[in-house]
Amino acid sequence: MHHGFKLDDTEYSVELSRGRNGYRLHFDGVTPEVHLSSAADTRRWLTVGGQRFEVVIATRGDDVFVHLDGEVHHLRYRHPLDRLRAQSQISAEDSLRAPMPGTLVAIRVAAGDVVTRGQQLLVMESMKMETILVAARDGLVAAVHYDTGRTFDRDALLLSLEPRATAPT
Amino acid sequence: MTASARPQSWPFDTVLIANRGEIAARLVRTVQRLGMKAVVVYHSADRETLAVHTADQAVEITGTPPVAAYLNAAQILSVAKATSCGAIHPGYGFLSENAVFARAVEMAGLVFIGPTPEQIELMGDKVRARGFVERAGFPVATSAIEDDDPATFAHRARCLGTPLLIKPSAGGGGKGMHIVRDLALLQTEIERARSEAERYFGDGRLYVERYIERPRHIEVQVLGDNYGNVVHVFERDCSLQRRFQKIVEETPSPALTPQQRQHICETAAGIVRSARYRNAGTVEFIFGSSGEFYFLEMNTRLQVEHPVTEEVTGLDLVEEQLRIAAGEPLRYSQAEIQSRGHAIELRLYAEDPAHGYAPTIGPILALHPPHGENVRWDSGIVRGSEVTSAFDPMLAKLIVRGSNRVDAIRRADQALRQTVLLGCKTNIAFLRRLIAHPAFVAGDVHTGFLEESWQIAAEPVMSVSKLQALLAAAALSTRPMVGGADAVPKLHAAMGSWRN
Repeated sequence: MHHGFKLDDTEYSVELSRGRNGYRLHFDGVTPEVHLSSAADTRRWLTVGGQRFEVVIATRGDDVFVHLDGEVHHLRYRHPLDRLRAQSQISAEDSLRAPMPGTLVAIRVAAGDVVTRGQQLLVMESMKMETILVAARDGLVAAVHYDTGRTFDRDALLLSLEPRATAPT
Repeated sequence: MTASARPQSWPFDTVLIANRGEIAARLVRTVQRLGMKAVVVYHSADRETLAVHTADQAVEITGTPPVAAYLNAAQILSVAKATSCGAIHPGYGFLSENAVFARAVEMAGLVFIGPTPEQIELMGDKVRARGFVERAGFPVATSAIEDDDPATFAHRARCLGTPLLIKPSAGGGGKGMHIVRDLALLQTEIERARSEAERYFGDGRLYVERYIERPRHIEVQVLGDNYGNVVHVFERDCSLQRRFQKIVEETPSPALTPQQRQHICETAAGIVRSARYRNAGTVEFIFGSSGEFYFLEMNTRLQVEHPVTEEVTGLDLVEEQLRIAAGEPLRYSQAEIQSRGHAIELRLYAEDPAHGYAPTIGPILALHPPHGENVRWDSGIVRGSEVTSAFDPMLAKLIVRGSNRVDAIRRADQALRQTVLLGCKTNIAFLRRLIAHPAFVAGDVHTGFLEESWQIAAEPVMSVSKLQALLAAAALSTRPMVGGADAVPKLHAAMGSWRN
């Protein structure tokens, strides 16, 4: 498994190795030499295979923000082990995640409730909009992880369904 | 305008700013320029913001959720008294159009920088204002008002025919507004609008208007004093909106002929004169594709987009508000107010246009505002500020002025390109695509433009060389990757060079 970066909704596999005078980026079958000037202020020079770009980079945890050519891009680092783990995880249908940051304004179900696909589970509010979150499949509510009024970030786990009974083998 | 200090005769020399974000910082600037002291109140979530850093005094207030702090009149009034403030400026939003608050401020012996409570009650209530404007002989759109007879509300709404627009009577800022194109969905949409209205405004009353297709939103800035004098300060075109919220505003409007411009501005001044309105205010109109226009609502406060007006006229609208509140008569006749050049405001939001403009959150890790001639940056954030979902997602307003519209658009693009704001996803790249769009360049947009041309919000396809550059920048900034690369040669060294 390689290192990865998630950019917009796509994950890219990349590797870095030592080159003759710096590093080489391994991506998509090519291995250009890459170099990043050390930071005098926050503006830096990035060289990729002889091409120079002015960049501003800021990181926090696994998040990397890059300002390049008048635009900001957000990349999220994925460690090889995390990528392996993600592959083996249970179905995403079991968990209802927040499509955007916000707060819950109504909880329509409780743990133990039987729900059907499309049934309203939660009503969340983000800024000026109410969004109704519905069940992705039939199932049994395992837990609701937030109370009304508490704020959460995008992708926060709001509600889980009991995993589907595995088919008899 | 000249930097003139406040005369000794004013009834206040310290102003409490009952707001947050960019507008609090902007108010601090004018209050201090006039030689007065600015006191701000803030919730702890806003500790690392520009207004708190620049005010003469900052006092923490509490509330759960944080917005409640800025809506807590009693708490704000007690801070005003404890800090010897003589006046309160409410900014926009929060308590700015709350007649009960305005009255409480006056009862406490302080000056409310705004209209009288009675004027807020009349013009700040959408339904009442519509009735008043209609009776005064000005044009309003056909509508059904729930309060007239709640039992027949849905029926009367149906009779208007589609498309319809449901609005909260107590509303503003696009909250709780829903378009209905299919009457079968009317009841559902009414319920949704009511639920939102109850939560945002504590008032679930609604009204329904015939929705004008492809309308422009044109509003007129006005100033009125205590002596019945009224002037307009020209129009702003705020037709570019997403979810009924403005994102780009400009003046003059590219859609108006000089005659239409004069007509709509004089209509606004007429409405305001009829109401004997005092303070800065904005009269909003819906402008149809064949040149007809209707009164939409009046905002009895400073408007978010007021800077474009300031940039073309040279007025400081906050200074005018303070002078009016201090009892001075208007300083300008209508003929003395001139508009020069073209100004555009772009609202920078913490949001992801490609995902339905969903709000984003995060820390401000790096911030380089744009600079240059005729570039204005009104913002409340500083490096280290935290963008949370507790407040409105507006981060900053970028205002540019050009000698004409083409020049202003060019400057706007340049300034957006210069702006570096790292830490949360913003709409900056989207704004650049938007102002480069042929329809915007031609001045041919309407309030539903972004819904029609949703492709502008989608992330454009990235070139391979750019993708490569981004991945290189990210890889070289990620310790496990650099560390991993550095470890390998050492390993090879330890093993000897048998491979060669």
